[in-house]
Amino acid sequence: MSADASDLSLVRRVQRGDKGAFDALVLKYQHKLVKLVMRYVRNPAEAEDIAQEAFIKAYRALPQFRGDSAFYTWLYRIAINTAKNALVSRDRSPIDYDLDRHQGDESYDMQSRMKDSETPEGLVLTDEIRSTVNAAIDALPEDLRTAIVLRELEGLSYEEIAGAMDCPVGTVRSRIFRAREAIDQRLREVFEGGLGRAEEIG
Amino acid sequence: MNEELDSQLSAMFDDELPSAECELLARRLSRDGELKARWGRYAVLGAAIRAERGVRLNAALAGRVSALLITEPALATPTVARASPVRWWQPVAAVSLAAGVAALSILWLRTQSPGAPLSARADRPAPSQGVNTGVRSSSSPYIYTVPQAPAARPVVVPSTELANYVVAHSMFSSQVERHNLLSAFMTSEPGTAAGAEEPESDAKIIAH
Repeated sequence: MSADASDLSLVRRVQRGDKGAFDALVLKYQHKLVKLVMRYVRNPAEAEDIAQEAFIKAYRALPQFRGDSAFYTWLYRIAINTAKNALVSRDRSPIDYDLDRHQGDESYDMQSRMKDSETPEGLVLTDEIRSTVNAAIDALPEDLRTAIVLRELEGLSYEEIAGAMDCPVGTVRSRIFRAREAIDQRLREVFEGGLGRAEEIG
Repeated sequence: MNEELDSQLSAMFDDELPSAECELLARRLSRDGELKARWGRYAVLGAAIRAERGVRLNAALAGRVSALLITEPALATPTVARASPVRWWQPVAAVSLAAGVAALSILWLRTQSPGAPLSARADRPAPSQGVNTGVRSSSSPYIYTVPQAPAARPVVVPSTELANYVVAHSMFSSQVERHNLLSAFMTSEPGTAAGAEEPESDAKIIAH
């Protein structure tokens, strides 16, 4: 098993003319890319626009991608350059915006987020999704919860999680899958009608 | 949906699926809308767990990118895209080159043959049997040399080693075998050096 094999298999398909494979890459990395761009522009809508532009640039440059580095690393560089160019073209300097500054900051309330051009509906839906996911995680058995948190929050590999939980890698894979399925069951309710206006995510 | 397939999808999302399985699943993922939606929700729940502030989890970014890509041409592999088309002059040049090489080969062969014209052989050294018909001045060498007619067919003289072998073989072979054409020729040839020299020593060697 090689690292980045998943992305590489999708990238190769795109390079052979399969645009649908690029959708999967966008779905996987859209949130990470927006979070990255948010270090340069404060407005979430603007960050999404820049991320969108970065994805289009990446698609056009994909024939030159040879897999020497991980796809996300390559995409990351494109997004940073796109964000910097956007700032220069608007004759602005980057905002020193440290996302970690707001971790656990109670003052980062609804009112301050409204200033970020976020629509009330978007905020409510995002909060709904977060609370749904958190509730689903709380309802998970201990072993499933630990496995999914170590994976998603700590970014550990299956092998590292297996070492931490003292179980085979296959068990880790099964636990993470079952945890995702349980959370996804709740998420689908939100997206498919929980608020009656959930946007398409794919 | 197939639970094994979903399990593979989860592992692929984490980059924990073997490459061969990734290839197969990537193909299905790019075409199966339901599988793709599940893949997208996996990304959403991961972002929700990480509590990424400022990131809208309901964003339709992927849909917008997908819509924009409709107008984009499908990609091709770099090697295919960069392959230069065959120019009209390339086959012509190839044929011309081949014809030139063939013509040079024929010309060279003609200069090497005995009946070649004098002009073609002018640069070759004069044979030793040539007859000098020109007038030699004190300061210039022979200006023209007419070669003699080609000699009769060259005499094929077998090598001494082969001749010795054939003679020795004829001496120790049966009567019938001794009358084969070559042996008869070699042994009946009067004055053949090979037939007269050292038959016994070779015979000893063969006998051993």
